[in-house]
Amino acid sequence: MCTQNEIMFTAEAKESITFTLNNKEYTVPVVPGERLLDMLRNRLGLSGPKEGCGAGECGACTVIFNGINLNSCLIPAERADGAVITTIEGLSEGIEGDLDPVQQSFLDHGAVQCGYCTPGMVLSAKVFLDHNKSTPVTRPMIKEALSGNLCRCTGYQKIVDAVYACAPVKGDPEEEGEV
Amino acid sequence: MEFDIVGKSTPLLDGLEKVTGRARYVTDIRMEGMLHGKILRSPHPHARIVKIDTSKAEKVSGVRGIITGFNVPQHKFGTMLQDWVILPNDKVRFVGDEVAAVAATSEAAALEALELIEVEYEVLPAVFDQEEAMSPDAPLLYEDKDDNIATTFQVERGDVDGAFAESDIIFEDDYETSQVYQAHLEPMAAVVAPADYDRLTLWLSTQVPSMSRLRYAEALGVCAEDLRIIKPHVGGGFGAKFEYKSHILAAVLARRTGLPVRMVNTRDEDFIAGNPRVPMKIRVKLGLKKDGAILAKDVRIIAGNGARTVYGPAITSTACYRIDSLYKVRNVRSVGYTVYTNMIPTSCFRGFGNAQMHFAMEQALDAICHENGLDPVEVRRINGVYPGYVSIHGWEIKSCALQECVDQAVEASGWYEKKKTLDKSGAKKRGIGMALCNHVSGNRPFYRPFDGSSALVRLTPEGKAIVFTGEADLGQGLNTAFAIIAAEAVGLPVKDVRTAAVDTDISPFGLGSFATRATTIGGRAVYEAAVNLKEQLVSHIAKVYDEKPENIKVRKGEVALEGKGETLPIFDVMQKVSFSLGGASLVGQGSYVPDTVLPDENKYGNVSPAYPFACHIAEVEVDTETGSVNIINYWAAHDVGRVLNQQALEGQVEGGVIMGAGWALMEEMIVKEGHLVNPKLHDYWLPTSMDTPIGKIHSIFLESVDPNGPFGAKGIGEPSLNPVAAAIANAIFDATGARIKKLPISPDKIVGALVNKKL
Repeated sequence: MCTQNEIMFTAEAKESITFTLNNKEYTVPVVPGERLLDMLRNRLGLSGPKEGCGAGECGACTVIFNGINLNSCLIPAERADGAVITTIEGLSEGIEGDLDPVQQSFLDHGAVQCGYCTPGMVLSAKVFLDHNKSTPVTRPMIKEALSGNLCRCTGYQKIVDAVYACAPVKGDPEEEGEV
Repeated sequence: MEFDIVGKSTPLLDGLEKVTGRARYVTDIRMEGMLHGKILRSPHPHARIVKIDTSKAEKVSGVRGIITGFNVPQHKFGTMLQDWVILPNDKVRFVGDEVAAVAATSEAAALEALELIEVEYEVLPAVFDQEEAMSPDAPLLYEDKDDNIATTFQVERGDVDGAFAESDIIFEDDYETSQVYQAHLEPMAAVVAPADYDRLTLWLSTQVPSMSRLRYAEALGVCAEDLRIIKPHVGGGFGAKFEYKSHILAAVLARRTGLPVRMVNTRDEDFIAGNPRVPMKIRVKLGLKKDGAILAKDVRIIAGNGARTVYGPAITSTACYRIDSLYKVRNVRSVGYTVYTNMIPTSCFRGFGNAQMHFAMEQALDAICHENGLDPVEVRRINGVYPGYVSIHGWEIKSCALQECVDQAVEASGWYEKKKTLDKSGAKKRGIGMALCNHVSGNRPFYRPFDGSSALVRLTPEGKAIVFTGEADLGQGLNTAFAIIAAEAVGLPVKDVRTAAVDTDISPFGLGSFATRATTIGGRAVYEAAVNLKEQLVSHIAKVYDEKPENIKVRKGEVALEGKGETLPIFDVMQKVSFSLGGASLVGQGSYVPDTVLPDENKYGNVSPAYPFACHIAEVEVDTETGSVNIINYWAAHDVGRVLNQQALEGQVEGGVIMGAGWALMEEMIVKEGHLVNPKLHDYWLPTSMDTPIGKIHSIFLESVDPNGPFGAKGIGEPSLNPVAAAIANAIFDATGARIKKLPISPDKIVGALVNKKL
């Protein structure tokens, strides 16, 4: 696992890059200066990663990059070389595929309003849950895990509830401490 | 009354495409040959445009069009006042003001061209504070005017001076509310493409598709019919997404180039050139009897309009007198000035001036109670309006569960117990505060020709229904609310009903989502259309199946023919009905025109078909050493008329409370000499999940069943925010004795107040 900074600043020049996106392998030519977000949206036709600020502040462009949730607006596209990337489109296959339990839980709990933050929020939740399969999960832990994803509609309450419902091991609510 | 769908929790029907990322917003639209539009904005708060030279910019490869004030018409238009031009050729009036716009084949080319446009400015003296802008020697924004006062609102009723003379308690104080940013996650956005018949199609992220169409037709010098507006998914609005300059610039560029133009704000642009909340300086004077009954209210408001008018004047007038339908005061005087400054133009933000006034009024009442040993609950009870009350301005309260909201919030919060027992001994002190709230569900003067809505509900040969409306879902769940109303009224499962995206070529005219009107007024139109559809359906079934109409019952997608003792699926029935009509769908049409009154020149007349109410109670913990405030618990009791969708309603309340808490405690547009210092989400402190008391916002819903709303429903969007800042401020006062009258209630203000008071 590497940090967002390491991914941003350790580039090397290449003509084309190969990466796995939503379980499929892609090789695409490098466009100098291109952001991962633009490559995904403009060249690969995805609409799930959203641009909310272009500065890594809102989380709407979140993707899962080698197992961690990162802002794709801050990642040079060429850093995707060799990476395994999942966007919201990768959680359920097309219109026919089943929803990921996190997606279903967001729907069921009313954690979706305008939906602009939703893809990023779901992916951050997914990474958090993947990293806490056997850890007792509490709501304060979820709050922290989602703190990089802004939502202006819901007040976060139903989002946190949706994620909590997906945790395989739940912490004691009595021990959750202060809100 | 037993409902199948109304009152239950219905997850948003368009939630599936949102959780899968398939939902398309304006920002997701791509087209063959699409150009990227960018706007050159003024770096000066006030300057004369001496010269604009675009010759170098035109040579940039990929540039297809450049417009400035020197090559577009200079006619004036506007939302409330005629103070807009497409682009100015005389002056810029705020940092961010539009100077030129470029369309190019790539964003990079457009940005390069912007850099090469040479503008010679003669910098002028500027004025930023709305009160200073009123002074006779302040720099003038518009030289054809005598002063910077855009509008003055005045109303006086009863015997105000006499009532003050009779008052036992006279209270007067000043409050100041801040200019804050709506921070919708999807920035302002438009894609405009030339279409057949010399028309334009505009995909807009907007709350007001039909009104934008009228205004943009005026701006472009075309007929409204020449513009087709489509509103796909919208990533939040909160008042920001009304008529907007960049939509017009995209349209001009699309006409000039003959190509589609995409114009999407960067986040910085959204910050410096969106339309944030109208800042207000509010002086409140109240006269009361010994028991707390309010006899007189005198208010003076100075509101910052910014450099051109969006909806500032209407927001100021709302602040001046809407709250007179919350309390039974009969002697009132209000004057509100909406003043031009060299600041960003301000406009609607959830609460529309009423939120600003709640911050002042509800703190004033709290202070009066504290100073005179009165019970803030009782004082609100004796002053609160009731069903059948007609305000001094002629506003007719029909449904009203205000007293019940107070009862339930007080009981659920354990108010009286907490007043006595909350711990104030240590450095971290707890307190509890209350604020009441009223609002409208529709605002008759907003669009002068009419208020109202119309809808179509189409039942297809497969027995599925589609609702067509001009009212705009912004993500709040309006499309689902409409589907619930239509499904319940026709007798279909809600999953078989969908609401179509607004498309002005197809959808009926709809004023849009503002004034907490869409569910009530738009929803009532959908209800009427659904009832009309049901009548047609029953009459056709009667013919096709030779059954008496009174023996036909449609429920949950099944048709019972009680005379024959048969029950059939709607699919089978509609196949037969439709085939008997040559394959036609059944189309129900419905309108609702509220029995409201356009207030006369004396501002008298009932403006809304329904009035929602609420009582909020905040419990906070204040760290008196750092000044930080934690919300420990929050109770929001709302008279919603009728619950249509429990889960979505809770979502509105939770979102409104947190947005209100952000306004109260965190958010601030820091402006120095007209320049916004923090145009970044990182520096503008928006509530994150970490700032939210998860599980501690308690929604309570009261059903007063309004005679005008669909199934009795009233709106929720704005009432969920109106009382929040005051409830929190009152709780902070209860905890610490610090009364903060200027937003935001930041830690420095709390610590400063405590140091000064030596508390």
